[in-house]
Amino acid sequence: MIAKEIREEVHNCIKCGLCLTPCPVYKQLYFEAASPRGKVQLIKKILEGKLEPSENFHRLLFTCLLCETCTVNCPSGLKVDRLMKAMRAELLQKFGLPWQKKMLFHLLVGKRLLPFFLFWGRTLGNPLLARMPRSRKLGTIPYSKFPRLNRKPLREQYPEIVKVASPKGRVLYFTGCATNYLFENVGRSVINILQRLGVEVIIPREQVCCGLPIFLAGARQMALQNIRKNIELFNRDDVDAVIVDCATCGAALKKEYAHILEEMGESPEAAQALGRKVLDISQYLVRFDLEKHLRPIRGRVTYHDPCHLLRSQGVKEEPRSLLKVIPGLQYVEMAGADVCCGGGGTFQWEHPDVASGISSKKVQSIKETGAGIVASGCPGCRLQIYGNFGEESVEVVHPVEILAKALH
Amino acid sequence: MLNQEVLKKFASILGPQRVKTSQEDLLTYAYDAYVMEYIPDAVLFPKSVEEVSQIMKVASAHKVPITPRGAGSGLGGGSLAKRGGVVLCFTMMNRILEVNTANRYAVVEPGVVISEFQKEVEKFNLFYPPDPGSATVATMGGAVLMNAGGMRGIKYGVTRDYLMGLEIVLPSGAMMKTGSVTSKDVTGYDLTRLICGSEGTLALVTKIVVRLLPKPKSRRTLQAIYNRIDDAGNTVAKIIEAGIIPATLELMDKMIIKALEDFAHLGLPLDAEALLLIDVDGDLEAVEKQAALVADFCKSQGARDVRVSQSEKENEQLWVARRSAFGAVARMRPTCVIEDATVPVSYLTSAIKKVIEISERNRVQIAVLAHAGDGNLHPLVLCDQRDKEEMVRVEKAMEEIVDYAISVGGTLSGEHGIGIAKAKYLPKQLSGTALEMMRAIKKSFDPQGILNPGSFLEYAA
Repeated sequence: MIAKEIREEVHNCIKCGLCLTPCPVYKQLYFEAASPRGKVQLIKKILEGKLEPSENFHRLLFTCLLCETCTVNCPSGLKVDRLMKAMRAELLQKFGLPWQKKMLFHLLVGKRLLPFFLFWGRTLGNPLLARMPRSRKLGTIPYSKFPRLNRKPLREQYPEIVKVASPKGRVLYFTGCATNYLFENVGRSVINILQRLGVEVIIPREQVCCGLPIFLAGARQMALQNIRKNIELFNRDDVDAVIVDCATCGAALKKEYAHILEEMGESPEAAQALGRKVLDISQYLVRFDLEKHLRPIRGRVTYHDPCHLLRSQGVKEEPRSLLKVIPGLQYVEMAGADVCCGGGGTFQWEHPDVASGISSKKVQSIKETGAGIVASGCPGCRLQIYGNFGEESVEVVHPVEILAKALH
Repeated sequence: MLNQEVLKKFASILGPQRVKTSQEDLLTYAYDAYVMEYIPDAVLFPKSVEEVSQIMKVASAHKVPITPRGAGSGLGGGSLAKRGGVVLCFTMMNRILEVNTANRYAVVEPGVVISEFQKEVEKFNLFYPPDPGSATVATMGGAVLMNAGGMRGIKYGVTRDYLMGLEIVLPSGAMMKTGSVTSKDVTGYDLTRLICGSEGTLALVTKIVVRLLPKPKSRRTLQAIYNRIDDAGNTVAKIIEAGIIPATLELMDKMIIKALEDFAHLGLPLDAEALLLIDVDGDLEAVEKQAALVADFCKSQGARDVRVSQSEKENEQLWVARRSAFGAVARMRPTCVIEDATVPVSYLTSAIKKVIEISERNRVQIAVLAHAGDGNLHPLVLCDQRDKEEMVRVEKAMEEIVDYAISVGGTLSGEHGIGIAKAKYLPKQLSGTALEMMRAIKKSFDPQGILNPGSFLEYAA
């Protein structure tokens, strides 16, 4: 049952259509049922008992990036994304999960991920990936453009507490799966910078996947144990902040956990308390005088706003400031930096045509800046942008990786 | 209901992808930005004039009702399938075909979004002024068929004033052109302007030629806050009397000021009765002179606070209030009906006071925005569609507003159109003879009555 507060939203839509043009999916498909206004109408009809949730409706509900652009553009303040997320959860029982997602989510839940990674990932995954035909794609991304798995998970590379002499601060670090298993350099950069700034970093060993891909697919019950575990580990008062380097994990910890628990009728208080402590790494770093630690580096960089950072968490200026503070580095703003890249988690393999249309616009904006480096604090955007860039060379990195490189 | 044979013919013209008949598709074409719903039997998405023509040939052979639609942001039910049949949706026919800088015109397909077109011509230092509130959504085709206006109406006029020519398809499927690309053209009846504002009852528009202006070199925004609404009204009169034509002249009443403050915390005084937002544009020197003059008028008429921007950035800061106004008000209640009765500009203040009086007497929440320079009121009527008793009071208040506008020589609708929302009031303004003439015109274009049936002319009958 969708929570009452969320159900009520369908009556607040005045059908003005201001959500149409900003919606990246509608801008590819140009028919109403693909738009936020259309989906709100269909959910309204279902809640009123005038429409049976069909296979077609289910497909439309997942023809959405959950980029939240509609929510921020709605003059009536509708929480469109929360309505869609709740509806996805509502339909889980009727339609189930596709087998690929079922497999992936089973891995992400609980403790199965590490042994899987150690065995399959390291011994078979990387060599296999290297042998895949270069032009074959998973969704819109050629196999040749997938990152290799970390030699060792990031959390195995560091002690649980990375100590510094006379600490000036103390943070809990939520590494997320992407940094832990795929993009170790992001994690190393975070830790290097924090060490330089004299901040003690605690990396709880027991942390698990944030669960966002699971609960956004509607499988809220399945994600519960992860949510509870992370709240238990990170809702601590003896630290300055809980820092996150992944936009998606940040959105989960800062906001989504509390929403989900509340909508499921559980107490959201601990999740809310955790949410107040969570900071994106860029938000934490801008508090420091970084300039004195930096040496000039050459290059031109542009920045792409991840949906989960800009719209879910309201973080816009901080990552840009991190880039602008680096001496010698030329910062260029791209047109439509705030427009979704088309990745949307599993969206890009479920709807490759729509996704590649959206991504090609993003790639075009990037090329127009003439930048050789794109910075973005989201592993999903990173994969999507790099994977859709074509043959031309471009570096897609996390802002902290450039910052760490500029440390002297 | 459409029979399978007709649907098959449509599919053979457009392919199955662009003929939509699923329940989900039909329900999402049952609405526009008005409050009524009509479920069509099919939604078709043409991409070329040839396809439109072929569709109309099938439709006229089988007497299938065809209702054209753009983005569906209309406020009067004009693009809904009142008698069922087909919604012909132009959103996929959306190319900008030409921007001609030498002759300053452009040619577009009907599905182009207004603001995207404006952005495109600005790259050439050109300017397409009509800017309805829905410009970021609404299509050029919709704007032509509804003769959309907007905030710049006072200085730059409305859609009609920029139309040079059209390519249209008649209900029979015949294609024809109206107008030309020259700025002067007196050859034959002006069918271009007849189609403009015809609300999709005469012909379908497949190509649009619009006149462009050089982009104004500079712009200054002024904001003036008043304790008394009369003083704001007098300022407007004073500006017009002095021969200054501002690019925009927007008024917001105290309920909007309060809603804005609650929502966006802009630091506006809660005891103020009115706020004027004034833009002057043109050559820098002239603009600065005019801005100073207008600022003096505001002060001499008793404004408590006057701000004059010094840069494009400051213009935008002052515009935040106006841009946020609709959202701030719309979120106060589930339903928001936007009225657009229009009065001769000298009646503006009396009209606003009348609206406030009507709202209090009928116990209906109404906030008033106005394009003050051209007398176009936008009472935002706040309600909950589910509350039948409240909706009766809303209806009554809206009728009283319309009656007042007509009594002072104004009009039912300044820019939203009649559709079904205001059809029943039509005889209040148009004489029997005028309606008869309109029906005769309709008949000569559409003898079978298949184009947008159930729209204003029939509804009023």
